This record gives sequence, structure tokens and C-alpha cells, in this order.
Amino acid sequence: MRIDWWTLGLQTVNVLVLIWLLQHFLFKPVKAVIEARRVAAGRVLEEAEADRARAQAEAATLEARRRDFAAEGEKILAEARAAATAERDALLAEARQEAARLEAEARATLGREREAMRQALEAQAGELAVTIARRLLALLPPAQVTAALLEALVQETTRLPPEARRDLAAAPEPVVVATATPLSPAEQEAWRARLRQAVGGGADFAFRHEPALIAGGELQGPHTLVRRSWRADLDRLAHALTLAPQAGDVHQLA
Amino acid sequence: MESPLATHVAFHLGPVPITTPVLTSWAIMLLLAGGGWLLTRRLVLRPGNTQAALELVVDTLERQIRDTMRTEPTPYLPLVGTLFLYIFVANWSSLVPGVEPPTGAIETDAALALIVFAAAIAFGIRVRGLGGYLRSFARPSIIMVPLNLLENITRTFSLVVRLFGNVMSGIFVIGIVLSLVGLLVPVPLMALELLTGAVQAYIFTVLAMVFIGGGIEDEAPHVAQEESNS
Repeated sequence: MRIDWWTLGLQTVNVLVLIWLLQHFLFKPVKAVIEARRVAAGRVLEEAEADRARAQAEAATLEARRRDFAAEGEKILAEARAAATAERDALLAEARQEAARLEAEARATLGREREAMRQALEAQAGELAVTIARRLLALLPPAQVTAALLEALVQETTRLPPEARRDLAAAPEPVVVATATPLSPAEQEAWRARLRQAVGGGADFAFRHEPALIAGGELQGPHTLVRRSWRADLDRLAHALTLAPQAGDVHQLA
Repeated sequence: MESPLATHVAFHLGPVPITTPVLTSWAIMLLLAGGGWLLTRRLVLRPGNTQAALELVVDTLERQIRDTMRTEPTPYLPLVGTLFLYIFVANWSSLVPGVEPPTGAIETDAALALIVFAAAIAFGIRVRGLGGYLRSFARPSIIMVPLNLLENITRTFSLVVRLFGNVMSGIFVIGIVLSLVGLLVPVPLMALELLTGAVQAYIFTVLAMVFIGGGIEDEAPHVAQEESNS
């Protein structure tokens, strides 16, 4: 057996060259693509991890925002409730004020109507009183009543102020004496003397019959009027009944 | 009569005789390098079946290196991977009619063993330094230096003889049976020879890894520890 050294050398070189060739054309490219896949897989995993972390952060943000929305909703609801309560209170207060105003107006209207009714009733009562008085007086003898009232008229004239009596005495026209019943000339002369004495001076008097006086008479001077008749008394009574009765009127009636 | 162990010279390139094992090796080199170039032209991140098979081969080689040498396989992949692929294809080249496997020539096996011998020294010096590598011959004691030196030589020879004997014997057996019986009967023997060729490629590669790993064994546990930690 013989060793061919040329073949040994060439085969050594061949294997060394093949080592280089396979390293260059086979092992290195395959290892490179495996490494690239490993890097890509690692990158994909890192990206997935980053995406997962980002998704978790996003979910946390959304959860926080949801909680904020819920809190804000509660706040808005509370504000709306407060506003509704305030508005309800304001409306209630306004309604109470309006009710109070309407009640006051109703009370005022009722008072006015009650006053008007009272006045109407009082007027009717006055009219009724006058009617009753007139019917009662009609039962009395008018001449005697007239004589008594004329006496009272004379007494009233006597109590007039001096200026009024002088005015009556100096009247250019005769002072009219209206009587409820017609006076005979003798009676007229007698009463003229009494009145002239009460007035003083040379006063002149003219008598006139006025049935509307019912009873009594009136002294009608140019500036002085002295009334002492039932008509006048009933008028004062009716006036006192129609208006608020005054102490003076009551005194006069008495 | 020409010895059956003699290599046939195909032609001369000047003073250099080009033998058939050299020609077959060139063909195998062309096949492996060209095939590798064709298969790795369009590698993509989403591999097809062919690329997946290619990656499986490379990954299996790396895993084998890592398991056997207990170290990072990248620096040793070109040598170990080329040894396995070349011996495997060379052994199986007998399937082509008229072609004798180059590993049936002792020069080819000797070249492979020399490369492994040189690689064990080179990697040992690179990993442990010249002093560290030389000191490895004195382990476990100084009296072991002659034996360790002798072991480095004898194990290289054992590589040569093992591969050469197996392949050459297969060729001889098939040749003898063919001359005696004729067609079809040698087929089981040829199938057995294919199995033997694959096993011998694996054994040669594993032994090469063991020899190279023995030269760097002081560093191997450290690297293995780092890998286990990672």
C-alpha cells in the first residue's frame, strides 16, 4: 500500500476549501436567517409586550375616565337636584306670596263688599226707620208737634250768635219760616212776635207751608238756616245711619 | 496486477497527478457548495419546507456540537458540519454507478484526520492559550506527557483507519459479491453499506468533536455553566 502525497495534499486543500465554501454559502446564511428570525420574534414579543402594556395603560386610563365621568355625572345630578330644589323653593315662595297677595286682595275686596253691603243695609235701615218714624209721627197731632218744635226753633234762634241774629234782623227780605202744618194768621202773628223777640230789631218774617217737614219748622235767612223739624231730624238720623254715627249726631238726635 | 488499494490517476495537471478521489471530491464540493448556494439564495423569515429542512440540519448539527463539546457551537460549526456533510455525501456517492467513494481512499481519510488533528491543536491554543494547551499534556501528572502525546497521534490514526477500513471493506465486499453472484444479491449489502456510511460519518464527526472538545475541556464547563445560567 502506498500513500499518494499529492492526493493527500489536494484532499486536505479540498476539505479546507469546502469548509470555507459551506461556511460562506450554507452555514452562515442559515444561521443568519435563524438569528434574524430570533431577533424578529424577540422584537415581536417586545412589541406585543409593549402593546399589552400600552393596552393596559389605555384600559386604566379609560377606567379612570369612566370613574371621572361617573363622578361628574353625580356632580351634575347633584347640581341639577340642587337647582331643582332651589327653583321649587322659589316657586313655592312665589306661590305663597301670590296666594298671600290674592288672599289680601280677596280680604280687601270682601271688606269693601262687606262695607258696601253694610252701608246698603244701613241705608235701607235708615229708609225703613224714616218710614217707620213717619208712620208713627202720622199718629201724633201735627199742630201740637209743630207748636212744640216751633218753640224749640225759637229757643234755638235765641242761642244763635249775635252776628247771626243781627244778620237775620237786618235782612232786606222777610225771613222765611217754613212750617209742616199751615198756621192760622193769629198763630203766624204770635210766632212772628216770638221770633222777632228772639232775633231782636225789626226783623220781618214770612210763613210758608211745607208738608215735607212732617212736623216742626225751619228758619231760612239770607245767610242763616235754623232747622227744627222732624224732616231735619230724620235726615240727620238717616245720614248718621248711612255714614258712621258720630257722637254729635247722637247728641243732636237726643 | 494493480493493488485494489491503489488510487487511480485520472490525469495529470502538470506534475500533479489528479486521482479519482480528488475528482470525486471536487464533484462533491461542487454539489455541496452549489446546493448550499441554491438553497440559501432566498431565505425568508417564514420558511418553506426546503428551508425548514435546511435549518433543521444546521440546528441539529449545532445541538450535537453543544451536547458533545459542552460549549458554544458557532466557532466549530463550519468544521464539524463540513466533516459530517462531506463524509456522508462521499460515503453515499457509491450509489452513483462507476463512482467510488473518496473516503475509500486512505489519502482522503488521512487528510480529514490531519485537519481534525490540526483543528484540535488550533482550537486548544486559541481557547486556553499556548501555555495552557501545552500544560494540558501534563495532566493529571507530568509523567502522562508521553502518553498524552502518543494518544494525540494514535487517535488520529484511529480516525483514519476506522473510516478507511469501514468504507474500503464495504467496497471490497460489494465488489466480491458482485463478481460472484451478479445482480440483485449485492443490493442488501449496498443498503447496509449506505447505513454504514451514514454511521461512519456520524462517528467520525462525533470523534472529531470529542478530540477538539478535549483540547478545550478546561473552558468547556465554564461556558456550559454560562449557558445553563442563561
